[in-house]
Amino acid sequence: MVYRRCLQLLRDDAEASDLMQDVFVRIYSATERLDMESPSSLLWNTATRLCLNRIRDKRRRGLDVDSSSQLLNIACAEDECDDYETKSKLAKLFSKEPESSRTMAVLHFVDGMTLEETAREVGLSVSGVRKRLRGLKAKVKTLEVQ
Amino acid sequence: MIPDWKLERFLTGDLPEGEMHEIRKLEATDEMLAQRLKLLREDNKAILNKFPFESLAAKMADADATATNNALRFNFVKFAAAAVLVLAVALVAFMTQRETVVTGVNADGKGGDIAQTQNLQNMQVAMNETASDTRIKGLDARMEVWKKTTSGIVQLQDLDEVYEGDEIQLRYAVPEKCFGLLFSMDGNGALTLHMGDGVKAIELAPGKMNSLPFAYKLDDAPYFEKFFFVTSPKEFAVEENDVDKLLKRNDVKVIGFTLKKAGK
Repeated sequence: MVYRRCLQLLRDDAEASDLMQDVFVRIYSATERLDMESPSSLLWNTATRLCLNRIRDKRRRGLDVDSSSQLLNIACAEDECDDYETKSKLAKLFSKEPESSRTMAVLHFVDGMTLEETAREVGLSVSGVRKRLRGLKAKVKTLEVQ
Repeated sequence: MIPDWKLERFLTGDLPEGEMHEIRKLEATDEMLAQRLKLLREDNKAILNKFPFESLAAKMADADATATNNALRFNFVKFAAAAVLVLAVALVAFMTQRETVVTGVNADGKGGDIAQTQNLQNMQVAMNETASDTRIKGLDARMEVWKKTTSGIVQLQDLDEVYEGDEIQLRYAVPEKCFGLLFSMDGNGALTLHMGDGVKAIELAPGKMNSLPFAYKLDDAPYFEKFFFVTSPKEFAVEENDVDKLLKRNDVKVIGFTLKKAGK
């Protein structure tokens, strides 16, 4: 599941295998904060977030990114709620705090989850998800204009 | 059409029961869905072959080695188990397709390894219960785990620490005539049958505690050794590649007992 998810978002076999292992190691390293209520969601969302980070990093370095424009826009959208790596908020990754808006956006816009399903995946209310997505969507639109 | 993400959850068994049931029913009638699931299962198997658990375990061990916090170390087994569960869930249904190897069956046919070194689905089953995981589904059947020491034998409690080379003696009792099977799972996902007719449960008589005729010496498998005592009024057998199926049956009672591997 994790490998397929990484491959779906990154479209590169080597990167997908690299990220897949990274997902497991990250989770293992943060097991104290692990919320195991839904391990599939944890894996799926962690893989999604790391893939988004990878896509964004590649884009920032000017490397070719083989992703859909929608995914690219989401990945590169500024989202003050995520960017855990640079802000040393790793603890948030596995706590019960809400997922990043970018991850929610992928679940909803790319995976086709309904708002209810997205809310269930990330442990937020539907209105909470809607609000976060609206905020991100505005930023994504801005990016599109640019 | 059911989206891919939902099929992934289905394969990990991580959907609400209602949705699980619905997809199971559809799989039986919808050829396209059945084909999609078949391909996913085959892909899971291929992925597992391509990325064996050992390589991930080594990376996890590296991550652990960098940890300096003693408290974290103290919780290593628990966390490792959680990570392994996560891994197992992720790599999922592959075990439904995996073959297992039956080796070392005792001459009397009532024991032996049905080891599968990468039986991650089974490991998932082993990890399905949490730290306080001595539990009894149903009543009265009992299992005791004892350890031989130089000064005699001592009864172990759930989650006690044990070492490689420790000799474990298992005892059980049932309240009424039934069928029973006793097996264990180690941190490598290897399944060992301790009591049974091959993989089939044997008939058990009610009454006093019974000791198995042989002790079990722990090998170097990491993290844990978990014992399962499964009983049922009906005959049953364990499928080496799908322990979960047995443990989830409504007509069986399961007692679990976990030993932590010290220093692993």
